[in-house]
Parts: sequence; C-alpha cells; structure tokens
Amino acid sequence: MAERKSLSKKDVVKAFWRWTFFSHANYNYERLEATGLVHSYKHVIKKLYGDNPEEYKACIKRHMQFFNTEPHIGGVIPGIVLAMEEERANGAPITDEAINGVKTGLMGPFAGIGDTLWQGTLTPILLAFGISLGSQGNLVGPLVYTLLMFGIMFPVAYICWMKGYELGKDGIEKILGGNQMQMLITGASAMGAIVLGALSSQFVTVKCAAVIKFGALKMNVQETVFDALFKGILPLAVTLLTLYLLKNRKMKATTVMLILIIIGLVGGVLGFLG
Amino acid sequence: MHISLFQAILIGIVYYLGNIGTPWLSLLGSISVVYKPLVAGTLVGFILGDPVQGCIIGAAINLPYVAFISAGGTAPQDPGLAGTVGTAWALAAGVNPAAAVTIALPLGLLGTMIWVAHMTLDVTFVHMADKAADEGNLDKICFYHVVPPQILMFCLCVIPATIATYYGSTAVQGLIQQLTGKPLTVLSVIGGLLPALGIAMNLRAISRPGTLLFYMVGFIMVQYMGLPVIAVAVLGGVIGYFYTVLLNNNAAPAPADGAAAMIDDDDEEDF
Repeated sequence: MAERKSLSKKDVVKAFWRWTFFSHANYNYERLEATGLVHSYKHVIKKLYGDNPEEYKACIKRHMQFFNTEPHIGGVIPGIVLAMEEERANGAPITDEAINGVKTGLMGPFAGIGDTLWQGTLTPILLAFGISLGSQGNLVGPLVYTLLMFGIMFPVAYICWMKGYELGKDGIEKILGGNQMQMLITGASAMGAIVLGALSSQFVTVKCAAVIKFGALKMNVQETVFDALFKGILPLAVTLLTLYLLKNRKMKATTVMLILIIIGLVGGVLGFLG
Repeated sequence: MHISLFQAILIGIVYYLGNIGTPWLSLLGSISVVYKPLVAGTLVGFILGDPVQGCIIGAAINLPYVAFISAGGTAPQDPGLAGTVGTAWALAAGVNPAAAVTIALPLGLLGTMIWVAHMTLDVTFVHMADKAADEGNLDKICFYHVVPPQILMFCLCVIPATIATYYGSTAVQGLIQQLTGKPLTVLSVIGGLLPALGIAMNLRAISRPGTLLFYMVGFIMVQYMGLPVIAVAVLGGVIGYFYTVLLNNNAAPAPADGAAAMIDDDDEEDF
C-alpha cells in the first residue's frame, strides 16, 4: 500500500494563483484556456503522478482538451477537478469521463453566469463610479475603481476556487453516486442558456442598412421587415448560424470567425449591413 | 505637446499590459483594470506629465465602453487601444474630452484586428504544446503556454501602438481620416458579428436538451421586455431551480428516459 499523496493547502492555493495570473496567457480560438489549466496544475500533476509515467501523461492529455469558462466565479470548476485528480491519484475509481463530465458540464453555464455578474454587472457599476469622479479630473476615480475591482474579484475568485476544491473533496461520493452533480449541471445549464440569450441580444449587433425605393416610397428594410417580423431576428439568426457551423458542421472556431468576417465585409461593403 | 519615442514606447507597453490575458498584473489586472480607458488614460497622462488631464480624457473615452464585455474569447472592440493611443493623441493635440472620444473610437475598431491576429496565431503554440504532451514534457508545455505567446503579444501590441503614438498625432490621424466612412463602418459591422462566436461556443459547451429554448427565453426578455442582464440572471436562476426540481420529481416515478425523450421532442419541434 503506497503512501497517500495528498495536496497541501499550499498546493491548492499555488494552483489558484497560477490560474489567476496565467489562465489566458495563451488564449486562442482552438482550445481557449486548455494550456492555462495545465499550466496552473503543473506542480500538482508532478506531485500526484510523478511516480507513474503513464498516469502522468494521461493527466496532461486529459487537460489539454478544450476548456473555457469565466475564470473567477468559474474557478470553482478547476477547484473541483483538483480534488478529483487527488482522489484519483490515490486509487479512487474516478474515470476520465467523470472528470471531463464535470469540466464540460459546468464550463458553459459558469461562463455565462460568471461573465454576467463580473463583466456585465459589477464592472459597469464600478466604472460609473470611477468615471464620474475621473471626468472631473479627480485621480481618486481610477484609483478607487482599481482597488474595488481587485478587492472584490480576488476574494470572490479565491473563495470559489477553494469552495470548489472542498466540494470536490466532500462530494466525491455524491458526485459519483447520487444525482446532485447532474442536478447542478441541469440547473446551471438552464440559467446559463437564459443568460447567454440576454448577452447575445445585447452584444451581437447586426442591422440591415438597406433602403428599398419604390418611386417616392422609401422602405427601411430593418424597420418594416425585420423588426416587424421579430425584434432582433438578425442577431439571433447570426448566433444560431454560428452555433450550427460549430456544432453540427464541426467547423473550427477560426474558420467560423473567418466566415463571420466575410459576412461583415461583404454586407458592409455592399451597404446591406450597417 | 511633443511625445518622445521613449514616451511612445511606454504607452505601447501600457497597451500591452492591458491586453486581455497578459499575465503581469493577473487576468483581472489586464481586462478589468489597465484595459479600461479610465485607468489607461490616467497612466498615459502620467507618462506624458499630465495625469489629471489624462484622467479626464480617459474617463470620457471610457463612457462608450462602460457596458463592454468580452465573452468566449471574442472582443467586439478594443477599449485598450482607444484608451492608450487615443488619450496620447488627445493630449498631444490639446483637444477637449468630447473631441478625444471621436479620435479614439476608430482606434477601438482597428484594435480588434490585433485581437483577432493574436487569437489565431496562438493556435500554433497549442499545437507545439500538443507535441510536448505526447512526450509527457510538462515543463515544455508551460513554456509554450507563457513565453512564445507573450513575446508575440508584446510585438503585436507594442509595435503598432508605439508607431501610432509617435507618428500619430499628425500622420496616422490623416490615415484614420481616410478610413472614416466605409472602412470603419465595415469594421464596426464585423465587430458586431464576432460576439456571436463567443456566445455560440458557450452554447455548444452547454449543449443539453432544451438549451435553445432557454436561450430564446433570455433573448426575448431583453429584446421585448427590455430587462437588464442582472434581472435576467436572477430570473434565470429561479427558472433553472424549478426546472431542476420538477425534472427530478418527474424522473422519480416515471422512467427517466421518457422524460428526457419528451424534452428532446420539444427541442426539435421549435427548431
């Protein structure tokens, strides 16, 4: 019986700080935060699987897969996974599927929810405060904005990460046995999808600029056709098309990006979009 | 006000430090702090010797970007370039804050090209890291994660921002004037489309029965009911809670696959 390989609090906190600083250092359209996650787990992987070359490599490969979430509130996910890896290294029957399930099941919902709370809610509130002072030439504006941003988000991120780790430790049996994890993923997915709907109607902006003329009669296509049909139908269509290309046609994100750029280029140059 | 080459390089470095994902000040310190024109403008003001005026101009440039959000790795605009180079130009020309915003907004559109270039080129380093993963070389993966992408990012950010700042006030502004009209409209059209990619990647990640129906609910809450996102988030939490509880109660007596099949049907009827 081998000695138990347990992570100290220092290991968990170290992984948190590596994540906090380096999560997006190699952000890219293919796998987003994947190498960021491996980078944050570096010392953990060495400690847990250092004596087992096969498991060592398997663990690295497991986390080289696509991963993307909001990094502060969504930090709960790498926290949970850290505990799962620790249990697995000590012989608990935790499969690749279980670990991937937690990651892929939670990353989407937490991305939507996290971005809404952090970038969509907290940031505008703090900015409004900072800008109102800053516009009068008061340097306290940018200073207080910066301090509040760090002072709120770092503790939030730290608590989420550590809670995630505890949840992974306490809840291993529940996660594997009961359906709590499934329920959490279901509920968070519903909330995440609703929030993504709200975000896309705010941030995906496509408008038809075409005006059709019948003699003296001018018809603004956006107002008379698209808005009358369904408000926001163009942004909705673009988002669903993008999802279709990614999911059903299995296109690479970079290809889809290129298609979007071409649509914008052609539509913009011809004056159809504006 | 004359901007020296040294000052221009420092301003380029401020732009780099604020670009999403640079590790020096943490992710938060980049996207949520130095990326914001309020902060970037003040720093540029310090570099050029007038922090108060830099702060006033930065605050003005920040206003159109208050609700800026970068979701799923897409940035519709680049407040960082607008806040750094925009403030530098405005200080150099001695214009009022309102005029500064007009100078800065086209920069915010041009900056998206830097972002797209970095997000695309960084894919190369992931493939290098893949090879290192095959060898089981963790140190090498960590190297590919940090050093080459950050050198690339440094060049992509500092070089154009320095050139634009140094020659900018006169030469580049002429160029921007030429771009005004059609080219900038096209850039803003593309900037409006790109967030769809981030949203769609997150939707694909959720990918459960009924996802698109929930998505529609959120979409309509904003389009037709005009609710702010935070209200949608709270309502979404309530809906998600009851959905889970009801699904769980239904699944207990009836066979679970029956319930799942029902939801699948719903999904297909509507889409």
